[in-house]
Amino acid sequence: MILRARHVSLRFGPARILTDVSIEVKPGTVTAVAGPNGAGKTSLLRILSGEIEPSGGVVRLNGRPLTRLSLAQQARRRSVMVQSAPMAFDFFVEEVLAIGRRQGRDSVPDTASAEIVGDCRIGHLIGRKYNSLSGGERQRVQFARALLQVWQSPAGPPLPRPGKLRSTPRYMLLDEPTASLDLAHELQILRLARRACRNDIGVLLVLHDLNLAARFADRVVLLACGVTVADGPPKEVFRDGILSHVYGTSVQVERHERLGRLVIHTE
Amino acid sequence: MPRIRLKSRPVTSLAHTADGVSPKPLQVRIRLPALWLLAVLLGVATFMALASGAVPISLMAILSGQESGLERTVFSEIRVPRVVLAGFVGAALALSGAALQGLFRNPLADPGLIGVSSGAALGAVAMIVMGPALGLTGAFAAYSLPLAAITGAVAVTLFLYAFSSRYGQFSIVTILLAGIAINALATVGIGLFQFLSDDAGLRTLTFWMMGSFGRATWTTVLPAIAVMAAAAAPILLLGRHLDALQLGEAEAFHVGVDVTRVKRYVILCSAVAVGAGVALSGIVGFVGLVVPHLVRLALGPAHRYVLPGAVLLGASLTMLADAVSRTVVSPAEIPVSLVTSALGAPFFLWLISTVRPR
Repeated sequence: MILRARHVSLRFGPARILTDVSIEVKPGTVTAVAGPNGAGKTSLLRILSGEIEPSGGVVRLNGRPLTRLSLAQQARRRSVMVQSAPMAFDFFVEEVLAIGRRQGRDSVPDTASAEIVGDCRIGHLIGRKYNSLSGGERQRVQFARALLQVWQSPAGPPLPRPGKLRSTPRYMLLDEPTASLDLAHELQILRLARRACRNDIGVLLVLHDLNLAARFADRVVLLACGVTVADGPPKEVFRDGILSHVYGTSVQVERHERLGRLVIHTE
Repeated sequence: MPRIRLKSRPVTSLAHTADGVSPKPLQVRIRLPALWLLAVLLGVATFMALASGAVPISLMAILSGQESGLERTVFSEIRVPRVVLAGFVGAALALSGAALQGLFRNPLADPGLIGVSSGAALGAVAMIVMGPALGLTGAFAAYSLPLAAITGAVAVTLFLYAFSSRYGQFSIVTILLAGIAINALATVGIGLFQFLSDDAGLRTLTFWMMGSFGRATWTTVLPAIAVMAAAAAPILLLGRHLDALQLGEAEAFHVGVDVTRVKRYVILCSAVAVGAGVALSGIVGFVGLVVPHLVRLALGPAHRYVLPGAVLLGASLTMLADAVSRTVVSPAEIPVSLVTSALGAPFFLWLISTVRPR
């Protein structure tokens, strides 16, 4: 039970966006995709979400190829959060969340919804218009919406079938969830993502900030020019030599003793 | 050493602002009762439309069976079909407008905008001018105008669809721009037919272009409302999908919405509904634009409430506009589109001034 892309490539005409990239998103862990601009991070996320079909290779969600799952089945097992634009009509935050609460014919119960709203600290925003929110508030609302979309009752899937009551692993794909957020809000979103993965959810983060990736990810996939340069735990991937080579500038990685984690900076 | 004063509350107290849970907004709480209120309004509007007209008819007399033969005929063969047609055309236009606005994520979209109305108009005008020359007889003659209008609307829609999905992706911008071109071409076609037609044809044509429910008879109304109802039903089921689409097309896909299918349904069904309506009533302006907006003011923007609300309010307002058009200069009548446009066009200007540029 895993979300896995194997040997995927993507090309638009002569341009090779991705070449033979493999990635796994394991339930209960946070995987970060890092790399310079134009490395193909977002394209990889869009392939994992089924939004674009790879030119080669296959994406499997819990063992089944994405193309064999209906859109509704995919939506119950994986949610996506991208940079969100303002809406053409003045929706209330309440109504934006309702889009995530709806799961096919079922709906997330009020108590579970209230819990997620509390966790994301957006209770005071429920009655506001979505377009009137700040960037950070919108991100939190979208995160809650994505969380609601893959919510599952502790007893099992929304429509439990006999003999299959164990929870199904689900996935959240977050594209730059901390973009345009201040220090406190970026921590808040990533802590929420960390918390989410306790519930049998695999989280994929596309992150620019290597310090955040080092701090919050269990595993880092480093992309450059559409190929995987390194793949492993942060302390193995984030090394002076690899990063300096990938970013084309001198990068230093140190272990900060007092904080007890890696600190990455340029010279 | 510089002195630093922290004026604002430190950011660490994020939790501080997050304790309270605000209640659901008023608009969200009242939208179901408001929908019922619109249903009541539809009942009142129907009653008023049936009670008014050039020939004074007492509804009480009709109900108690004390009417004269003339009154009975005027009521059941002229007034009722007319009111029914006005209601259905208004509902179809408002519903199509609401759905297209949701699909294009643009509050200014309208069946007229993408060329569907002018496609239907061109088909109908062609039939008005050329029809007599074709020498049609019997049942086919009665239905030739609606068929021509629906054909025009569907032809435009299919063309739009083929044209804009040529490169795989189904682009909204392409549709809007192609709509402008189609409107221009249809205007040329209509002008050409005006030039070709004789005096009688020209008069019919002019009245038809300004919209009127005056030619409603049961033989033409019944098939038209059947078509409109059949085309409107699928749109009414797409409310939640249109809501998800407001997040963006990719986002709607992520939530599990088959975006291409929603586009196909909305465009095709609104073309058929508008075509069937335009065929009998001519062009009734601004209903598809104004009504969804009024509904949104009352019910908020969620489509699963806006779509049924637009049906109810569109039917009510169009029936009332028709009642006004046939009573203000009674026994003559003014084209209904003059009434709807006189109210709708200033509203449209106000709307443009309030829509924030993005």
